[in-house]
Amino acid sequence: MIRRILSFAAAAALLLAPQSATAGWKAIAQGKPIAVAKTGLTVTAPSGVWNRWSLRPSKKSELWTKDGLALNELAFYSGVTSGEPIFREVDKKNSPLPKFNSKMLAPDVVALFEASNRIALKTSLFSVDSVEPAQFVGQPGVRFTFTYSVQNNDLVRKGEARAAVLRGQLYMITFIAPSIYYFDNGIADARAIMDSAVLLPVAAK
Amino acid sequence: MPTVAAAQERHAVRPGFAYPKDREVKIVVFRPDVRVGTLTAGGLDEPNADWTATARTLIAAEIERAHGVQGATVSFVGEPEGEDGVRLAQYRALFGAVADAIMIHRLFVGNRLQSKKEGLDWTLGEGVSALADATGADYGLFLFTHDAYGSSGRKAAQIFGAMFGVAVIPGIHVGYAGLIDLKTGDVIWLNADPQMGGDVRTPEGAQKRVGQLLDGLPGRPVEAPATAKRN
Repeated sequence: MIRRILSFAAAAALLLAPQSATAGWKAIAQGKPIAVAKTGLTVTAPSGVWNRWSLRPSKKSELWTKDGLALNELAFYSGVTSGEPIFREVDKKNSPLPKFNSKMLAPDVVALFEASNRIALKTSLFSVDSVEPAQFVGQPGVRFTFTYSVQNNDLVRKGEARAAVLRGQLYMITFIAPSIYYFDNGIADARAIMDSAVLLPVAAK
Repeated sequence: MPTVAAAQERHAVRPGFAYPKDREVKIVVFRPDVRVGTLTAGGLDEPNADWTATARTLIAAEIERAHGVQGATVSFVGEPEGEDGVRLAQYRALFGAVADAIMIHRLFVGNRLQSKKEGLDWTLGEGVSALADATGADYGLFLFTHDAYGSSGRKAAQIFGAMFGVAVIPGIHVGYAGLIDLKTGDVIWLNADPQMGGDVRTPEGAQKRVGQLLDGLPGRPVEAPATAKRN
């Protein structure tokens, strides 16, 4: 998962890599429907403070942030199919990520997200704090909250997510931020974006 | 100043910032967060407790020796215990995340966020005023350094990597320092460099590192006095 690049060591490597200069950020227009991850998943931002990253963590995901990915990360996962992990594999040989299955029910998706994070972040300090039914992309889905920290770092991050399985594919939006200040500062916007999510037909290429 | 579009700036100050002139402000320096280890051939960052302890002692001593800030009194706090200690640890960690964000999205010019192209608009939040209450200070100075020296195996990998055109980073030498307004949480100044100099395991290296970390801190004497001292 892309959050791992924000470790101090990797941040240095990121800055030292000349090709990273080509990664860019675009402002998200307020109140205008935006198709994310080049799919039919479409959302509308209530304010003009979000930026989308041109470097997508995987073909079926996209990241937005207000202040930097270390401080507020809005992640979109759109159309994950059976047999695919939700994050990009980082160490497939030694630490393979669990795969989505189209037969998964909402609680299974939450367990998949937790297991994927434990592996991607190399942490045992991850807890799911609440799970409840919720509408998402006009479908019955799930809303869940979670808390985690990573090894050798006292920073506690909180997250909230909405997910649904539609026609055998997974759609999910997650918001993650430090529990101090940044989660409370961004969650209202994030919830509004999650509420706005619809699945529109993708135009033929 | 950047020399090319993708260049990195070393530090940034909140536009228009100046210490209040009607009184001498108080800056508290929190214990520097120092990590030293080895970067293995496989890219694993292995902490070294002895190197970390040595570097922590040397860096703390150097900061105490060379901490002068015009218009401010500077004090140092040890590591508080109990609830205060937990709170400081959490804010130190939050500072790390904020500094990371500023380093990537402000100082690295090619990676700026469209919504934050100008100024220095980052904060730790108003809750940081609990640290002002605990210390009586107006501003807090946080410092962080992380070094991982290449193991012999990694140095070999570098040589072989170079033969085949593959870049292998020799080690990690990241450092940053930040001045925080303890009433508002606003970041006043941040200095960051992913390629810091000075071997922090030696007194000379620690002196160089601290000089780099505090470079550009508002109220610090600039250039001439520092050069004179070293000569």
